[in-house]
Amino acid sequence: MKIEHLYGEVANFYGDPQNAVYLSQCDPDSEIIHTRLDSVPYFASERPDIILIGSMSEAMQRLAIKSLMPYKERIIELIDDGVVFLATGNAYEIFTERIEYVTEKITVDGLGLFPLTVKTDLFARYNGMVIGEADGMTITGFRSQFSFVYGDNSDFAFIKVERGIGINKQSKLEGVRRKNFIGTHLIGPILPLNPEFCEYVLRLAGSSACAAHKEAAMAAYDRRVAEFRDPKVKFD
Amino acid sequence: MLKKIRFIIALWVAKASRLALRMIGKPATCTPGIIALKLCPDFLAHIGTPQTLICVTGTNGKTIVSNLLGDVLRDCGYSVTNNSYGSNVQGGVASALLTDATLTGRSKKQFGVIEVDERSSIKVYSYITPDYLVCNNIMRDSLKRNAHPDFISYVINNKLTEKTKVILNSDDLICARLAPKSTDRTYFGVDVRKPESGDPENVRDVVYCPECGHRLDVDYIRYYHIGRMSCPECGLRSPDRDFTVTDVDVDAGTLTVAHDGVSEVYRLMNDNIINIYNSCTVITVLHKIGLTYEQISGAFDRLKIVATRYDRTTVGDVSITMQFAKGQNPSACGRAFSYVAGHSGERKSVLIMTDFQESDESESVCWLYDCDMSALADPTIREIVFAGPRCRDQKLRAIMAGVPEEKIKITDTPADGVDLIDVKNHSEIFILYQLYTIPAAARAKRRLIERVEAEK
Ligand SMILES: [Zn+2]
Repeated sequence: MKIEHLYGEVANFYGDPQNAVYLSQCDPDSEIIHTRLDSVPYFASERPDIILIGSMSEAMQRLAIKSLMPYKERIIELIDDGVVFLATGNAYEIFTERIEYVTEKITVDGLGLFPLTVKTDLFARYNGMVIGEADGMTITGFRSQFSFVYGDNSDFAFIKVERGIGINKQSKLEGVRRKNFIGTHLIGPILPLNPEFCEYVLRLAGSSACAAHKEAAMAAYDRRVAEFRDPKVKFD
Repeated sequence: MLKKIRFIIALWVAKASRLALRMIGKPATCTPGIIALKLCPDFLAHIGTPQTLICVTGTNGKTIVSNLLGDVLRDCGYSVTNNSYGSNVQGGVASALLTDATLTGRSKKQFGVIEVDERSSIKVYSYITPDYLVCNNIMRDSLKRNAHPDFISYVINNKLTEKTKVILNSDDLICARLAPKSTDRTYFGVDVRKPESGDPENVRDVVYCPECGHRLDVDYIRYYHIGRMSCPECGLRSPDRDFTVTDVDVDAGTLTVAHDGVSEVYRLMNDNIINIYNSCTVITVLHKIGLTYEQISGAFDRLKIVATRYDRTTVGDVSITMQFAKGQNPSACGRAFSYVAGHSGERKSVLIMTDFQESDESESVCWLYDCDMSALADPTIREIVFAGPRCRDQKLRAIMAGVPEEKIKITDTPADGVDLIDVKNHSEIFILYQLYTIPAAARAKRRLIERVEAEK
């Protein structure tokens, strides 16, 4: 299995790169290809099984858009071909129509794969948790963000939120899904935090590997699910 | 006029509350400052500041640096206002300034050394213009509150004007670029113990040029993004240092600092690289505000540095080391793990109680995955105990970082962690704690000593 980790030298906040590490520990035969912001992606001419991109600063997000824009058609082709994409944190905003940076007073066009827009305000940080359902699985996660996503994602949401918010404070539908492209504001190590979901991602990518360190991962996951469903626990 | 009256009322009420708190045995905290700000939201705009006001900010080391500055200045006979025993947010700053002010709100002190939490920068610098801003580093901190270093720089810069002189770490390119409006800029840095390797594959927060976006060339990286770098495209580079640590002699216990064509030798307080940076920061600031070498080095010789964040006890042939590791701060915890791994000793046990939870809050565990835990896989570490409600997440993270599963023990109850330590088979025991777990860590240490003594 070939895992392309995009722009890990800058898109590495909140532990997001550990998703790639975890996948490689699940499937010891896998290979991680690190693609830097100033180089030609592996996916430009090859077909990786999984492409990962994680959270980054707002300045780097703008550079990442610049770097990916020339490959927009190729990315659509790969999605149509069933390649797995996992874009976590503000990385998934890159694939929406546009991002308005309220504080810096600039607006940048995204790749436009989803009919959604983003507003980023450095004076409105939001921290919270999410528990919800995606394709029959219970997903847990954390969010820590300056931005919210607007538009109607009801036809292509990733998670139906049980507790917490969706793409914005009024929404109960989190993230986006287009074939095997999964984008979510959930930050950090979403795969080790959700071992069943990790196995689901592996299946999408054609691997039959199990979640690594599964017993330890499930113990942490089960405890988190119980805690997130405890009405005493505050969500944001 | 009305504004002035409101300020005076706020000042008097706050001073009275401070007096009342002291009478019932409560230490001076940020409460008087919070009261003052409630009654007069622009209190900081009216309160007098000392003749020279130095604000110290940054991710790691600001408390040590501001306390040391205050101690040296007092030792040299100057009067100093500082918030070393209060808090470093807006209320704490107000408390410190009002405590030392006259009844009309004028400052009676020569120097103010005020530690300012980075995130309070806008609220503080909107009203107060420091004469000097001192910053040691800008690193990853709590992801919930501090987001990322770019954001923290933005917040610090937001209200600073060209009137503030800056004293910055030239070996931290994020820190060195702070306060772009300031033209009076002094840089310090450390030119010893340079790593051989150019660019280790670690996470650093400056990879591309903040001016032009081109990949930076790296001369060397000490840790994270602390090091020297330059841009081959636009010429941006780590600024030249005005004050440089040119020698550290551990045996002689000395630290040499070169500046303005002279080399000065000071007592080495601690040879940890972090503390070398801290000492260099302090020496630079003291020179800039006009102290002489004799004054500074004299004070360094006399001062006993209170090692609140490190202490070591030996019971028989077991030594117990208490090590502070700021919770939710990946850079600080990663450094603490490296410290344990690099410490002498072949049979180490580590009790990690950096995990703290409000009863009705679930903390994000993502920071654990941003923290470099690979040092815990060091073979000299034979046992790791994670104690606290996040112990399962810590265990999984440690396994992913290469720690053999059989070395890890966990318990949900912080108080029980100490009982899981196998005291018979370990000669070096470390307790890693954070601000909120200080009492629990102190209890754990006492219990550990009892257990070691019982085993003898
Ligand atoms: Zn440049």
